[in-house]
Amino acid sequence: MARLEFQDVHRSFGAVRALTGVSFAVEAGEAHAIVGENGAGKSTLLKILAGITRPDRGEVRLGGATLTHASPRDALAAGIGMVFQERLAFPNLSVAANVFAGREMTRAGGRLDDAAMRAKTRDLLADLHVNVSPDRLLEHVSAANAQLVQIARALAFDCRVLVLDEPTTSLTDAEVDHLFRILNRLKARGVTIVFVSHRLPEVFRLCDRITVLRDGGFVGTYETATTTQDAVVRAMVGREPPARLGRGAIAIDAPPVLSVRSLARAPWFRDITLEVRPGEVVGIFGLVGAGRTELLETIFGVARPDRGEVIVAGRPVTLRSARDAIRAGLALVPEDRQRFGLHFNLSIADNIALTRAARGGLGRIDRRGEAARAASLVAALAIKTPSIARAPDTLSGGNQQKTVAAKCLAVEPQVLLLDEPTKGVDVGAKFEIHKLIRERAAAGMACLVVSSDLPEVLALTDRILVMREGVLRGELRAETATEDDVMQLAAHQSETAAEVVA
Amino acid sequence: MKSIWRAREFSTVAILVAEVLFFTWFLWPEAGRSHPFMNVGNVLLIFKYSSIYGIAAIGAAIVIISGGVDLSPGAVIALTTVVVGYLFVEVGWPLWMCAGAGLLVGVGAGLAASWLVVRVGLPPFIATLGVMGIWRGTAFIITEARFYDLSAKLPRDWHVMGASIDWLGPAVMIALAIVFQILMTQYQWGRSVSAVGGNEMAALFSGIRVGTIKTSAYVVSGVLAAASGVVLAVVQGQGKADLASGYELDIIASAVVGGASLVGGRGSVAGAVLGALIFGVLRNALPQIHGATFYDRFIVGAVVIVIVVMDQLLTKRAS
Repeated sequence: MARLEFQDVHRSFGAVRALTGVSFAVEAGEAHAIVGENGAGKSTLLKILAGITRPDRGEVRLGGATLTHASPRDALAAGIGMVFQERLAFPNLSVAANVFAGREMTRAGGRLDDAAMRAKTRDLLADLHVNVSPDRLLEHVSAANAQLVQIARALAFDCRVLVLDEPTTSLTDAEVDHLFRILNRLKARGVTIVFVSHRLPEVFRLCDRITVLRDGGFVGTYETATTTQDAVVRAMVGREPPARLGRGAIAIDAPPVLSVRSLARAPWFRDITLEVRPGEVVGIFGLVGAGRTELLETIFGVARPDRGEVIVAGRPVTLRSARDAIRAGLALVPEDRQRFGLHFNLSIADNIALTRAARGGLGRIDRRGEAARAASLVAALAIKTPSIARAPDTLSGGNQQKTVAAKCLAVEPQVLLLDEPTKGVDVGAKFEIHKLIRERAAAGMACLVVSSDLPEVLALTDRILVMREGVLRGELRAETATEDDVMQLAAHQSETAAEVVA
Repeated sequence: MKSIWRAREFSTVAILVAEVLFFTWFLWPEAGRSHPFMNVGNVLLIFKYSSIYGIAAIGAAIVIISGGVDLSPGAVIALTTVVVGYLFVEVGWPLWMCAGAGLLVGVGAGLAASWLVVRVGLPPFIATLGVMGIWRGTAFIITEARFYDLSAKLPRDWHVMGASIDWLGPAVMIALAIVFQILMTQYQWGRSVSAVGGNEMAALFSGIRVGTIKTSAYVVSGVLAAASGVVLAVVQGQGKADLASGYELDIIASAVVGGASLVGGRGSVAGAVLGALIFGVLRNALPQIHGATFYDRFIVGAVVIVIVVMDQLLTKRAS
């Protein structure tokens, strides 16, 4: 049987000790979660499983045999299928080609056997209840189905262990349900599932046991049935979970610093009207695809609205670029920090200075002033780095996110727009980012936060605007709202639509 | 604090010094004869020839740092010599006005390339490949297989401020290298160029005028190539359509050997000039080695690969 054992696994990258002697076992046929804060060593463990890196010391055994694979290809041959967080697939190839990429079925003489691959893919997808043609290009397949295609790939090679890294980050609730049904079926067939996720409710729903890593070390393995989420969080952070944040007093009668009137941009959203007052944190909640990111980008000037106006501090503004928006007093913490937020070829100090400097001209850089400002922001936001002269690629996800926030705060905006500010960051950093937002709000900044994390929206904001299919469907006071209230507004229409289709 | 010089440039200096020491030792003459490589005349010769593509390599490095690539400098150099030659010889303008007109050719070339890249959205490789053909072709159309002989109208054994005109290229190269090194490391413009090359979307979201910055990089590249052309026309005394053929590769190779990464975001102006000198020394010394004459292209190509691979290994170890 495919019992997966980690025995005293060590791995260092330069001075960084990513894994410091991790030992635990995943029983054959169970669903086993690996959780931990960013930097706990989960990614390194997965890379070892996938054959991307090898341990410095220690070994990994599958069904009693030591794994010596040196590449993802070997890992697949050994029966380990990986479903990665990023879409490590070929958008320009068909679904069938993706399933068999690198290990194509061939006829005698080496010609590709397209018919056989297509038929096998169709069977696998039917088995997973995925209604996608094997001939469809992967770029035209939804994120959820692309993930299922990766699972199909693993199954095509009869994998005994299926490893999933944060598979639910970009899925809707219905898609998560579908995925979990499939995983449970595979488990019943004897496939061992290794599940890595930040989302503890999902971990508790799916997995039999949970292994917690912290700072590269093994903390413990817990039976899901006999432990609680709080206990797992305590094990992950090594301290008591933080208390809920207090809210500051908002001057209700102060004039709004940001007003959006009848803003529309086809096909994303229409007729959006909202106001944010100084000191207020307003949340926009909605399911993926509700048009929230597009709304923030339009307010921030990187996309043009078809209609409607944006008023900052009482003055209507026409924003044609991010530069205009920053000059008008706005700042945006974008959802995808690596693509839209950070420059990995520049130092942390340069990154933080860039937005503020771009507001000015092209003249001489005030290195001293910039270094002082960057150092004070790094201290204020508790960004953990040995030096601000380093590039941000050495930072953990949470610290990268705080660096993007620092970059925005350096321009001292009147309105701070945040798009999924805690996506993919660990519990500790999440709390610090929440604290930061509340502190800035208390100091008079207006904050507009887009998030799909419902507990976050309830804990962090003063008012919640619920967006569904490009329209604001309602407004709730965060203090009195429940998760049910918000979900009713966010999901109602889609459910009835689904019924009609069914 | 970030200084004007970075560690990467020291390793380029080290390679250059090692190379010079090697050839000085290897070509050491028999007693009583003068050194064929290490003498004032030969050093000036190396500087003089390196400066033609060294000046253009400054601009090429800036375009590469901005995330693009410019294949047109060789053609721009040739077109500039032709324009300068035509105005000087046929029209009879004073030399300084001809030089100014030559630089305007560079401005036009840079604007054309950046228009194709920024507005039309062509990949830089294709845009500048096309533009390269057009400028080279224009030079041939103007000259119709003739060439302009500037040397007949220029003073013989021309000295400016007591120095031979041969020093013009090296002087221009060093002055421009200093100016652009400071602009790239100490000024907001230079950092914006790096930011655009490192992550264009993040630069846009940071409020940087990405289109303007890219345009400025191509215009600088065009003007510096034109400056090479002016120097070549004056020093060589010719305006000719087939001058500087194939220089675009030497120019890009100089920038790359000097630390520029074709992915964008990394590179150095001073490094590009040092890279030009590394090739200048090779080109000068190899033909002096008995039997090595036909190996010079081969060795130059191999050196590019070796230096870049070494650089990658060093960067990998550092991280």
